[in-house]
Amino acid sequence: MSDIVDLPAPQGGPTEGPAIAVRGLGKRFGDLIAVKGIDLDVPRGSFFGLVGPNGAGKTTTLSMVTGLLRPDAGQAFVLGRDVWSDPVATKRLLGVLPDGLKLFDRLTGLQLITYAGLLRGLSRELASERAAELVAALGLTEAQGKLVVDYSAGMTKKVTLASALVHAPRVLVLDEPFEAVDPISAATIRRILSGFVESGGTVVLSSHVMDLVERICTHVAVISDGLVLATGELDVVRGGRSLEERFVDLVGGSTEVVGLSWLRTSSD
Amino acid sequence: MVAHLVRLKLTLLRNIFRRSRAQAIGAVIGILYFAVLVSGLAVILASFRGSLDAARVVIPLAGAAGIVLWTVVPLFSFGSDPTLDPGRFATFAVPHRELAVGLVAAALVGLPAIASTVLSVGVVVAWSHTPASTLVAVVSTGIGLLTAITTSRWVSAMMTSAISSRRGRDVIAVLGLLLLVVIGPVISVVANLGSDLRGLATAAARVIAWSPLGWAWAAPGDVAAGDVGIGLVRLALAAGLLVVVFGLWSGVLRGEVDNPRAVSRSDSGASLGDDLGLLARLPGTPLGAVAARVLTYWRRDPRYQISMLMTPVVPLALLIPFYSGDVAWTPLLMGPLVAFLLGWSEHNAVAYESDALWLHIVSGISGRDDRRGRLVPAVLLAAVLVPVYVLVGIAVAGRWELLPAALGLSVGLLGAGYAVSSVMSVVLPYPVPESGESPFNAPPGAAGITIAAQSLASLGTIVLASPTILLAWLAWQGSTWAVWVAGLVGVLLGVVVGVTGVGVGARLYDRRAPELLSALRRA
Repeated sequence: MSDIVDLPAPQGGPTEGPAIAVRGLGKRFGDLIAVKGIDLDVPRGSFFGLVGPNGAGKTTTLSMVTGLLRPDAGQAFVLGRDVWSDPVATKRLLGVLPDGLKLFDRLTGLQLITYAGLLRGLSRELASERAAELVAALGLTEAQGKLVVDYSAGMTKKVTLASALVHAPRVLVLDEPFEAVDPISAATIRRILSGFVESGGTVVLSSHVMDLVERICTHVAVISDGLVLATGELDVVRGGRSLEERFVDLVGGSTEVVGLSWLRTSSD
Repeated sequence: MVAHLVRLKLTLLRNIFRRSRAQAIGAVIGILYFAVLVSGLAVILASFRGSLDAARVVIPLAGAAGIVLWTVVPLFSFGSDPTLDPGRFATFAVPHRELAVGLVAAALVGLPAIASTVLSVGVVVAWSHTPASTLVAVVSTGIGLLTAITTSRWVSAMMTSAISSRRGRDVIAVLGLLLLVVIGPVISVVANLGSDLRGLATAAARVIAWSPLGWAWAAPGDVAAGDVGIGLVRLALAAGLLVVVFGLWSGVLRGEVDNPRAVSRSDSGASLGDDLGLLARLPGTPLGAVAARVLTYWRRDPRYQISMLMTPVVPLALLIPFYSGDVAWTPLLMGPLVAFLLGWSEHNAVAYESDALWLHIVSGISGRDDRRGRLVPAVLLAAVLVPVYVLVGIAVAGRWELLPAALGLSVGLLGAGYAVSSVMSVVLPYPVPESGESPFNAPPGAAGITIAAQSLASLGTIVLASPTILLAWLAWQGSTWAVWVAGLVGVLLGVVVGVTGVGVGARLYDRRAPELLSALRRA
């Protein structure tokens, strides 16, 4: 990670500079270097898509930005505050939806969202009021009294998103928010996120569905093998082609299918 | 189809010996051991040929016990033999009846069925008084064996469909635990009736012989004794039972194959609506929220329920030496033991939630709120249980003069336990059964760390409470001054150690919460 350009840390108060700034961020798991010292700026008010193949380091990067995984190198800033030296202040600004982590799933949906609000220090009245509103907005009213352990994958995503929104964060970091979500729920989530961005918030999401990222994001970063291959405004990154073509181009690898001729059943 | 299934089982049986050499040798030794045991039992059963009266008592009881065993074992080991899980055959187009017969036949090839068959041979020998009784014995023992195995398949299939819903799993886990808790007292009660065991057995055998469990096992005895009519009635009843059980098994099988796991989400229990439960009743602060959440978990997660049930039950064991022998002092330890268990049992509390801890981390709650909130339910429980057990223990032992020392020792152990647990659950979480798994399943490969961590927690608690333990021991030895000193020091030291330990745990949590999360994800 020595060859990383040493960019200056973002300066100024929380009203200027990027919403999220990552400088030389790196993480090693044993022999595997999952994130190889990356720099990334997420502009304030952007809808930022992080795309990359499986194992590219998306989740690792987002975990280090949200305070869930301590980096081995580098720094991460949220609205100008260092995530790892000023965790209390940054965590107040962040709403987080991690991927592949369990929930307190023996609570009901409504209880879980209220619990998240109370942990954030909201008063009980405010927490339960917001929880009820979020449940209604996300179409979970029917299921609000059921235990989260009995939810479908899509409902689980929605209740996690609600828990990330309950304290009115300034920046949302969502790891695979649309995975296993049905089209109708996805549209609901998209509307909520768009509204959040319009009102001045910033959203960072990871996905490997290029279509979706192309449709809703204003900015993208392509990461692969722990490195940022391209980043910037969506139109700049894709350079007149579809994001998928550009992505395959950047990441490399072949989409040709070899063999499997027996799968073609036209012979009978 | 039947032949296929039997061949599959034979292959699996052979594969027992195909693993590593050590495992194969272990398997051979195990099988030899059980072969000797089973043959011995079969010979004992056969020897009842000498006394028809004794045989008519023992064999129906033994046979009924056999059927009960075959029924109960799948409650604990369900799913352990996936080759016999009907759901696995859902994607193959096999006619139901053939599958039902085939799976029973395949079960007959397993080691337990072979052992039962050997025992059945002993039973047939015991009944071989006349040609008629031998013939009836062959038929009815065969029916009895098939009934046992088919019942076991039926129960196992029902379990498999029950455990595909969360509530079903929870109910089964708690029932299983209760069964285990009840077995001990039942055995001791039966053992105490020892003087009249003979009369009891005769009476029981007479009842059992007319119950579905005993029909098949009693019929040959009737024929041998000359009551051919009664014997044939029992034989017919036994055959009818087998048909009924097979029908039930076939029905469950049909449901499983036609509709595999289709009902897994439909019966998840009543909706609680917009009731916030305890979250609405405890203070609306991060600390109160954590406490309310842990209390809610105690009610809803069978893994917590098991330790909740065990903690008050275990100290009752101290009453056994008091009542059965002349050991006068054991009840005095009831209070301290329950206090020790309440503090100690929290030492791996975080691991039970697995990586759901991320919500605490991203919320940025302080270590103080996390640590203290988690302990609130345990403290509430202790506030009820410890005084009750201290008083009951003292009253039973009749040593009221030792009350301050017992109370001090209890508070001392409680504080030390909370201190050790607050630190250890941050520093050394170790794997526990996943929520929804059978609480009796140990995660593979975790035995070493589990034993090490539990011993460390026990040792740590005892070391931290050692001044109080020493003083309490002196008090028990007869030093009057030590009684009050132990009480005073115990309470003071317990509070100081507890608060300090929770504080250290909180600072550790603040420093290493992300590392704790990584450890939990590995665990």
